[in-house]
Amino acid sequence: MKNYITRLSITLGIICFLGINLSAQTAVDPNREKAIDSLALEKVKDLGKYISIIGNKDTQFSEATRVMGRAEELFAAGSEMGVSSLASEEVEYYKVREYFKRLMALNYDKVTIEWYDVQYISDLERQPDGKYVGVVTVYQKFEGKSGDLLKYKDTTKKDITIYVEKKSTQIAGRTVEFWDVILGDIRVSETST
Amino acid sequence: MIKRFSLLLLVLSSVVTFGNAQIVDDNYEIEQQLLASTKQLNQFFKRFNGEENNRGDELEPGDRQYRNPRLRKRYLSMLFDEEYAQISKDLKDKFIDFTTNSDDPEYLGLRSDEWFAVVNTTFEYEGREEPMALYMQMQQEGLGYEWVISGVSFEKYKQMFNKQRGETKEFLHPMSHELDFMNLRKALVKEGSPESYTLADFQPDYLTLFLYEVKKGLLKFKNVNRISFHFFSLEGWYFTLNNFNRTGYNSGWLISDLTEINKPQKEQLLKLIYDKK
Repeated sequence: MKNYITRLSITLGIICFLGINLSAQTAVDPNREKAIDSLALEKVKDLGKYISIIGNKDTQFSEATRVMGRAEELFAAGSEMGVSSLASEEVEYYKVREYFKRLMALNYDKVTIEWYDVQYISDLERQPDGKYVGVVTVYQKFEGKSGDLLKYKDTTKKDITIYVEKKSTQIAGRTVEFWDVILGDIRVSETST
Repeated sequence: MIKRFSLLLLVLSSVVTFGNAQIVDDNYEIEQQLLASTKQLNQFFKRFNGEENNRGDELEPGDRQYRNPRLRKRYLSMLFDEEYAQISKDLKDKFIDFTTNSDDPEYLGLRSDEWFAVVNTTFEYEGREEPMALYMQMQQEGLGYEWVISGVSFEKYKQMFNKQRGETKEFLHPMSHELDFMNLRKALVKEGSPESYTLADFQPDYLTLFLYEVKKGLLKFKNVNRISFHFFSLEGWYFTLNNFNRTGYNSGWLISDLTEINKPQKEQLLKLIYDKK
């Protein structure tokens, strides 16, 4: 419930910021694009938070399952994770839920997931259906320990698709339009750093 | 389009961190390397055009630094692969001078003309994994843009349509018409060379064949292995971008090949890249 309220307030904040005088799915003006960027980054941060919780061995199963549900809500239907390592050119593709389940099932006593303070957000480009699409790049550091022994560690680059779409909602009897951001496919590639 | 690093820095300094952790100071060096990396093709364009500063902050069109030739020269010199590429300093300098010429500067973007991607993939075909190159380019469609497949290169297809010419080739003799072309029965057989019975200038359309086989489930997509971008956008020049995943400050999308070309050379090069005779 708290999460829902937070989301609602963010959405309302964006609506207020963007104003209500938006017509059709037209070009995103620079100021609005900044607001959309911050909303996109917020969703990516949420995803990062959820991944850390799901991967944490101290997280109860029921809580991890609940968080997986929340995390899934960030994504467009059918979104996939394409995962590759330095050892192989091959990309393994997972549905989002499957990826989270695999993360939860990793066979380590302790898992640490941290995020580098480096992000890059592409321009938003319009696709044929009028929605806008962009890519947010973030970097994650993963460590898995058995006892005190470090068993595995890697740094991965995550290129996250974001879709931006104009939607409308009723607030106090008025139709208010706003830009919504939803996550799409994610390419996860191990880095050499 | 507006870019966003000032915003990002603002947001990052004022809102929650990812999960419960930020990387500690000993990872400062790695973060600096990741910042230096040209992380997306989008960032390559920004750096090429001088539309972000050396901290990664986006420059607004009104900013004094925006597309500043001096800034561009500095950036451009860092956009070359310094490990494997055999590009002379003189050639780099000439290219940089050409693109930053204050009378007629050159810029790049997603909608620039004459650039495309070569996507090296793996498909399952006849029970085996086979490499295939897809040629992809951007086109306008509907309300926006999309990537489309403009061609394919597949060794199996090339072998299949390796048409012979001259006196050794198979043929339908010139009096076949008198026999109601009954010899077609011997010509058009499985494992045969039906391409032998086509016009001299016959060129197989591999893309149509590819689409047909994908639709029929005969070709199954497995993987994207590697991508390179080929630019003919700047008149008289050709360059290639590849992604270098490595430690250090020279990583990400970088120019791996650069050459000056004239029009005939361009045609030759295009044929070579598209794997055509």
